[in-house]
Order: sequence, then C-alpha cells, then structure tokens
Amino acid sequence: MANDVTATEKPEQNPVLWVVRPMATAARQFAKSLFRPSTIVYPYERLEDPKFRDRLEVASGKPLGVGAVWDNYRGVHALNIATCISCNLCAFSCPDICIEMVTVPGGDPKHPKKCPAIDYGKCSYCGFCSDACPEGCLTMTTRYELSTPKRAEMVYSPEKLYDVFRSKLPMNPIRLARPANEDAILLDPPLCIGCNACARDCPTQCITMLDIPKPESKPGEKLPRRIWKEPVVNDSDCVRCGTCISVCPKECLFWGTHK
Amino acid sequence: MSEMWINMGPQHPMTHGLWNLRVRLDGELIKDVDPEVGYLHRGIEKISEDRHYNEVITLMDRCCYVAGFAWEHLYTIAAERALHITPPERAEYLRVLSDEFQRIASHLMWYAAFVQDIGLMSPFLYGMRDRDLILDLYQSYTGARMTYEYFRVGGVRSDLPPGFTDQARKVLDWLTPRFNEYDQLCLGSDIFHKRCDNLGVLKANDCVTHGVTGPMIRSAGLKRDLRKDRPYSVYRQLDFDVALADSADVTGRYLVRMEEMRQSVRILRQVVDWLDHHPGPVIAEELPRWLGAPYAPVGKEGYLLKRHYPKGVGFSAVEEPHGEAQAYVVNEGGEHPYRVKFRSPVFANISAARQYMVGYRVADIPPIMGSVDVCVGEVDR
Repeated sequence: MANDVTATEKPEQNPVLWVVRPMATAARQFAKSLFRPSTIVYPYERLEDPKFRDRLEVASGKPLGVGAVWDNYRGVHALNIATCISCNLCAFSCPDICIEMVTVPGGDPKHPKKCPAIDYGKCSYCGFCSDACPEGCLTMTTRYELSTPKRAEMVYSPEKLYDVFRSKLPMNPIRLARPANEDAILLDPPLCIGCNACARDCPTQCITMLDIPKPESKPGEKLPRRIWKEPVVNDSDCVRCGTCISVCPKECLFWGTHK
Repeated sequence: MSEMWINMGPQHPMTHGLWNLRVRLDGELIKDVDPEVGYLHRGIEKISEDRHYNEVITLMDRCCYVAGFAWEHLYTIAAERALHITPPERAEYLRVLSDEFQRIASHLMWYAAFVQDIGLMSPFLYGMRDRDLILDLYQSYTGARMTYEYFRVGGVRSDLPPGFTDQARKVLDWLTPRFNEYDQLCLGSDIFHKRCDNLGVLKANDCVTHGVTGPMIRSAGLKRDLRKDRPYSVYRQLDFDVALADSADVTGRYLVRMEEMRQSVRILRQVVDWLDHHPGPVIAEELPRWLGAPYAPVGKEGYLLKRHYPKGVGFSAVEEPHGEAQAYVVNEGGEHPYRVKFRSPVFANISAARQYMVGYRVADIPPIMGSVDVCVGEVDR
C-alpha cells in the first residue's frame, strides 16, 4: 500500500518546551474539569436518575447517553407472577443454572404454578432468561445494588422478584432478534400411545388430543395397546418450551419443520 | 555480588493481573526472566464442552475482560463455520462496529495502565475517562458495560437503538482530538523518550520465531494484520491502513497502538455510515432448534438432532487488540460443542519475555511489560 503509516522520528525540542507542553495540556484539562466534571457523586447522584437523561452529552464531559441508555441495562430481574405460565424456559436457558422453579400459590393442586427463583450469587446477568421468556413476564431492570449481609438473601424468591416488578423500574426493552422460521413440534405417529401427557402438561394448553380411527384388526395380528387419540399442536399458540417433548414417555415428539 | 531471583507478582502493581514474573538479577541487571502463568485458570475450554453453543459466549467475555467483543467474535466465527451458518450482512457490520470500538477501548485501557507504569499520573485519568464514553455506548445497545453477551451464533442479539449512530459519531468526534492530546503528554516530553526509547527491543525475526503477534510485531516493522492478511467478517469492504513502526521498542509499540486507534476511528466512520443506510435482519433465518430464541430441552441427549445437522469443524483467527487470537470448534452433531480450543496472543507475547527483557535494568521491567499489554484473563482462560 502506498500510504503506509510509519512512525516518524521524534522532533528536536527545546528543553523548556518538553516540560511546558505536557504541563499545559494537563492544566487545560484541570481547568475544564473544574467547570465540567467527568464524574458524579455516586451515592447522592445516580446515573440512572431522570435528571441526567436529557443532559447526557459528550461535550459536557458527563457520561454519554443514547436516548434512554439506562433502560437497556441488565440488572436485577422483575417477574410478573400473574402472566408467568410456568414454562420453565428461563431455567433451561440459564447458563449458570442459577434459576430454580419454585411453587407459588395460584395453581391447581395437580399442576402447581411454578415461577423462577434466582440465585444472584451465581447469576451472570447474561439476559438469556429474559430473552427466552415467551410471555415477557421475566425482564431485567436497572436495579444493580445487591449487597446483603447474608448469603441466603441473595436468592430472590418469586415474591421478591414481583416486588421489583411493582417498583416500576424501567424494563429492558431489548428483545432478542428471532429467526424467521422457527421449528415446530412434530409427531412420529406410529410411536404415539395417546397417553395425554403432553396435552396435560402443556403450559399454554395448545395441544389438543384428537380421536383417530381405530384400524381393523387382521386375523393373527395384535393391535398395539393404546388410546386411539393423537396430539395436535396449535403452532401459533405454542411457545416452543419443549415440555411436551420432555414428558413424552415414548419419545414420539420432536423438533422439526413442517413439510 | 551473587545473583538472586526475585518474584514480580503474582500480586504486584506491575503485573496487571494475576501472574508471576521471576527475574534473575545481578545487581540491577536482568540476567534471566521466567514468566509463570496459571493463577487465573478457570477451565473455560472444558466448561465450554458442557454448554450450548450460545452459552459459551457468556464465557468469552470473561476470557478477556478488556476486549470481550473480540473474543466473542472469535468464537462466533468458529462456531458458525462448525455449524454451517452464515450471518446476515448487517450483523457482520454490527460486529465490526463492536470490534473496533473495543479496540479503541482496549488500547485506551492499555494507555492508562502503561503511562502509570512509566510514572505519569494524569494521563491515566484521561484514558479511563474517554474509555468510559465507549462503555456507555456499549451499555446503550447491549445492556452491559463489560460482559456484553451480544453476539449470537448466526447474528447478534438485537439491533441498535434509535439515535445510536448519531451518538457514535459524537463519540468519534470527541475522541479524534484526544489522541493528539495523548501524544503531547507522552511523545511531547523528552522524559518519555529517555525512558522508553531502545527499551525492550524485539526484532521482527525474533517475533516470528516466538509467535509474537499484534502491535509488538507491527512495531518491529513487519506488516502483519489479520484484518488485511486474512480478512474475516466485512473487513474486506473497509478502507484502512496497517499501523507500522520500525523501532521495535517500547516507543514503537506506543506509536503503533496510537495509530491503530486513529485507524479504528476511520473504520468506524465507514461502518456507522453503512449502518445508517442498510436496515435488515440481524440474525440468520435458518437456525437449528437449540440456537434459536428459547433454549429448550431436546429430548434425550442428541436424539433426532444428528438427523438435522451435519457435523463440522470451525477454525477462526481474529486480530484482537493484543494480537492474533485463534479458535477451533468441533461440532460432533450434539447440542454442545465437542471441543473448543483457543489460542491466546498474550500467552505467546509474554512467553517470549526472555528475548526482550534480558540485559535491561530492573527499573525497566514495568515499562516493558506495560508495553506488551498483558491481559491475564485470556492467557490462563
């Protein structure tokens, strides 16, 4: 390349200048910092305060904001218990295995409602759980002060996460860009025994068991022992949580694309 | 006087992290050095074998804590090659945007630490202050200041928020005159030259012999930059020069890094302009189940997945702020990578310490090691 950047020889300088010049630069910075400090007085001022929101600019020397920069911060989670469907996706997506699904009141006795409890001693704030949440009930807020005297207090129960939700902090509006064609739940019909386990445990109730015709038994051939029903998945309601796949005793459900 | 070994580190202000430099001294003269690493080993390569492809990205930010994006990029390229996925073009530009801002942020962090090593106090604050502007930009579109977790296999997590490109231009306008100011504070002073000229010399052929890469090899006059030599992502479309110096000493490394920051600003202006005019998807359309949005259980381990997905291996090499990083990902068809291997540039750079340290005085160690830009997180992994 013609115009390679090459280091130049150092210029010969007056000994007075090589003392004065850096000092002048430092003095200029010092004078600037008197009028436009680059820092804030942290416990008394907070960057996420609304009063900083519109004034944040580069030229002021204050920290920079891009619109509502703090809204995107990934801090403590907020959980809306009312809309949680107990799909378990947050716990599955957690790389640090810090989410445990605990029972909360509100479910029926056969299918208890389970909501995430998060251990902030392990959490790495990666945001995978709020990305995975299909209902948008688990989001990340701007809260970041977590110090407690006891280790047990670092585990946030669903009720405590709901308190965060009620404090009306800005919710992280970042949503994961989703692929255009998602996989769907498919059925391998010969394996199915019609046991209803998938439809029973589906958190969105999008699986219906439909009757299928019972075939005529030929002489000398035994029909499989099964219930003559098959699950049909409503793809528009399905949140792709995979609960049906994991509860299926015969492994007849799998991920795939419709032909 | 007899010779003696002393330990610089593992907890020492000079070491910039947790590693140990054993030095054999004859009075003030360095006779031998022996770098000792491994204090920060977390087993990232082994943990990666037990995680989904996307979950490994959370570890990459912890790999190098000042250049997390470079390592995310390194891993995602390798994983995409192993899984036969092509990311959309806008995602590639977003990655280059993140990479180049990261290069400036990493070099500013290096500048702040390096000038403190040679005894200048206030430039440390200036470097940290200006780095903070870039971290604010990162926070606005990734949600975090250090551990971004923004790249995904097959694209990036989300698009930019509205108004981002204008703010990015403002930051670039703010940074451009700052580089001249830094030069005034260091190069303008003869004290800096007396301290750093002809110090820690490592010639080009020694760099090649010991696998030393990055600004160290470019300061020796060898034009070796993976962004030009082996272009990845969209660097082929971008116009920039490779920073070079010929003195192969501490001053040369300073000059190369300063020039690299200016070139990064030049790249970023092109990238920001491109992003303004080319909206589009930021994640690939065809993604396997366990790479899509929710990471759901897939039946029994590997069940019915091998039917969907071909095996493969992926290799990538990325010009990280510290040098050439390489990654190798083996995809055996399951939902986890079978094996992940990384090559850290700083590991090679400090392994060659004997070549550029022996013969200097003990007071020269902080400037020399400062000019290497050690990031122990990636050395030990």
